[in-house]
Amino acid sequence: MTEPSSTFPKVLAIDDSELIHRLLAVRLQHEEIQLFGATSADMGIKMVRKLRPDVVLLDLVLDANDQGMDGFDVLQVIKGDPDLQDVSVIVIAAFATVEDRVRALDMGASDFVNKPFEIVELKARVRSALRVQHLVRMLAQKAQVDGGTALWNRTYFDRRLTQELGEAIRHNRSLSLVMCDVDGFKKLNDEHGHPFGDKVLERLARILQTGRGSDIACRYGGEEFGIILPNTVGSEAIEVADRYRRAIEQEVWPSVPGMVITASFGVADVFILPGTPTIEDFISAADAALYRAKFNGRNRVEVAVPKHPPG
Amino acid sequence: MRLSNDQTTLRSEFADDPDMVGIVALFIHELPQRLAAMHVAIAAADREQLRMLAHQLKGAAGGYGFPKLGEAAALIDQAVRAGNDDNVIRSRVGMLAAIAARIRP
Repeated sequence: MTEPSSTFPKVLAIDDSELIHRLLAVRLQHEEIQLFGATSADMGIKMVRKLRPDVVLLDLVLDANDQGMDGFDVLQVIKGDPDLQDVSVIVIAAFATVEDRVRALDMGASDFVNKPFEIVELKARVRSALRVQHLVRMLAQKAQVDGGTALWNRTYFDRRLTQELGEAIRHNRSLSLVMCDVDGFKKLNDEHGHPFGDKVLERLARILQTGRGSDIACRYGGEEFGIILPNTVGSEAIEVADRYRRAIEQEVWPSVPGMVITASFGVADVFILPGTPTIEDFISAADAALYRAKFNGRNRVEVAVPKHPPG
Repeated sequence: MRLSNDQTTLRSEFADDPDMVGIVALFIHELPQRLAAMHVAIAAADREQLRMLAHQLKGAAGGYGFPKLGEAAALIDQAVRAGNDDNVIRSRVGMLAAIAARIRP
């Protein structure tokens, strides 16, 4: 019924009744979904975390000897976890009260189906949940992508840097930030026109995406880019930045023969920041290094040094 | 429900659905065990277990094409929740058993 490698959306049914799982397996077998099952609240939460399903069909009255966790608890765990918030939850319950339905919807459930369910209705509600989710995800992504360069935008950069910084501090992991600015961009625009300037940004954005898969290149604003490098120490980040620097320098611009465009880079390793740094501290450390690169002649990489010795 | 007279046999509403034949047969096959488990729970005064068994049947029986069975299970679930005494519960489990006894593949 389910192809493990299928790209069909994943639907996880959490219900303590084997009868319901059998029924869903048969009734949903012709739908373009992958169906998974969990028979307790506990198992359900574990599977939600592991599987990242698109839709959860959640029995409200999960009570088969399961440490007192019911459907509401599962709903609360899913909706309380930022990583799981976009999982659509359709609550299924046998003759639930109006209060139960309202409470489930207020807690973030997308929809409600009564048990015993009409199978055509259940299918329609699953399809509807998937449609809405697809649109929400598309909008969410669109709101975080820069139109000019197709890189992540500033909104995403701030959010992602906050997340990565938090994780680096919590788990004592390395993290570096590279800020990059096109040299003499204003002059380029003035001499060759804004369409050329736009093309330069677009091409540079493409170069900044040729790095390691884990690097997160974003448009910070104007002609400035920010690249987040998780699990990367300063010395590695310098190498990464220098590779970008050379690639940009070597780029050929057919519309302006002989043209050489360069960029300057500032690198900061989270390790040099004292105390519990904010993303502003981190960005300004990398920015200070970037301005030193500009000051020291452009087309170069500089690294931030600690203001106060660490510790 | 095709037949509603109390003496007649009951067949699943989905008896002719080729997708459903297998799981309906399994459902019917397991039904005596479910009833036996309810009797065991009553004898052991395990109301929680009884409620769970009734609750599962209440939610699922309709899906297998036996809504009457689901309604009877709902009455048991209700009685347990209301804290009714054993006589009421036994009589309701008896009603469920009577419906179950009429079911044929």
